[in-house]
Amino acid sequence: MCAAAVAAGAACSWYEPAASSTSIAPVGPALPGQPGGVFTTARPTVGAAVDDFLNRPSEPRQPIEFPHDVHVGKNVACEFCHEGVDKGPAAGLPSVRTCMICHEAIATDRPRIQQITALRDKGLDLAWQRVYGFDNEDSVRFNHAPHIRAKVECATCHGNVAEQTVAQRSVEHTMGFCVNCHNERQAPVECVICHY
Amino acid sequence: MPRWGMAADLDRCNGCGACVVACHAENNISTVGPEEAARGRAKHWLRVERYWEGDFPDVRVTFRPVLCQHCDNAPCEPVCPTYASHHTEEGLNAQVYNRCIGTRYCANACPYNARFFDFFNPSWDKPLHLQLNPDVSLRMVGVVEKCTFCVQRINGAQVQAKAEGRGVRDGEIQPACAQSCPSRALVFGDLDDPESQASRLSRSPRGSHLLEDTGSRPKVAYLARQA
Repeated sequence: MCAAAVAAGAACSWYEPAASSTSIAPVGPALPGQPGGVFTTARPTVGAAVDDFLNRPSEPRQPIEFPHDVHVGKNVACEFCHEGVDKGPAAGLPSVRTCMICHEAIATDRPRIQQITALRDKGLDLAWQRVYGFDNEDSVRFNHAPHIRAKVECATCHGNVAEQTVAQRSVEHTMGFCVNCHNERQAPVECVICHY
Repeated sequence: MPRWGMAADLDRCNGCGACVVACHAENNISTVGPEEAARGRAKHWLRVERYWEGDFPDVRVTFRPVLCQHCDNAPCEPVCPTYASHHTEEGLNAQVYNRCIGTRYCANACPYNARFFDFFNPSWDKPLHLQLNPDVSLRMVGVVEKCTFCVQRINGAQVQAKAEGRGVRDGEIQPACAQSCPSRALVFGDLDDPESQASRLSRSPRGSHLLEDTGSRPKVAYLARQA
């Protein structure tokens, strides 16, 4: 009965979507290791399993509508804001101070810029939501740096961000997607390269 | 292609248990509590076995750290119906949690009791949930987990060495247990490199392997006590 309701797209009484997808307030996902209601081994909730089965990823709601197209159009390189990308596993989401490197002087008359300037002055930060990333249940460890060194374009895995305002999940990171590229480039495809 | 192995000098091991703690911290191994531990559901990828020698009052206690021996002829591998338990090219006995369906054949086949089944989803008492290692996944309920020789550190060192255009140096990779050992009883290294410290120790005449006559060809050499 409930499964039919979910399939029809209706809300279901026992399906509680993550807090991050329902409110704009900076509520992160539950920390790993904290006990929670668990129905399946593969996904934390039955609702999440149904969403996964129907290929309905949860839409991240960003604190402000960051226009990627404008910034990429002005030739701001990806790694200027996602500065961890060539150094380690995580590319990183920029803090408001990274924004203010440029916006101290640029486009200070726009209301959105004044908004983040006010945030910075109050010592607050922007609670960006992750767009890409793996579930804990995937047991995947990904490291950006060796991919950048191997000259993989950002767009290969993240789509054409130059045409997006708020970043969208436009490429599905399935294992076949990863392994195809690893095979083409003769990169290692052993299980424990990623799964540990 | 390296072939990772370890040498454990029993003369040096004083049973302090730092390796066990380091292993738990590095690999996000959850504790199950006293009731479940009494049912044999405790998980310790590395344990320190304690033996008493002699009769009272002339007794002395000896210790032996036992971890997955990463056998060349591992009994756990052929029994896995899903190839979750498999051998890597570098000689590691690896476990892929995504593939594991929890038959537990491997844990039963292992002569060293080095494989552990997750009866529960992992949970930690606060604030321990804040010290989890992001480089290691959290195993979900229903899979078998085991020592990986800290494969996250092996991969990390290899990525770093490749970025710097060199090979991995001997001693550069240290699993958490070897790193934390105050008396340096545990030495990790490439057994195919005749110059590496681990392979030199493994060739020592004091060396032997645990339950060698099972034919599992373990890669952890134990150096017998002299004193």
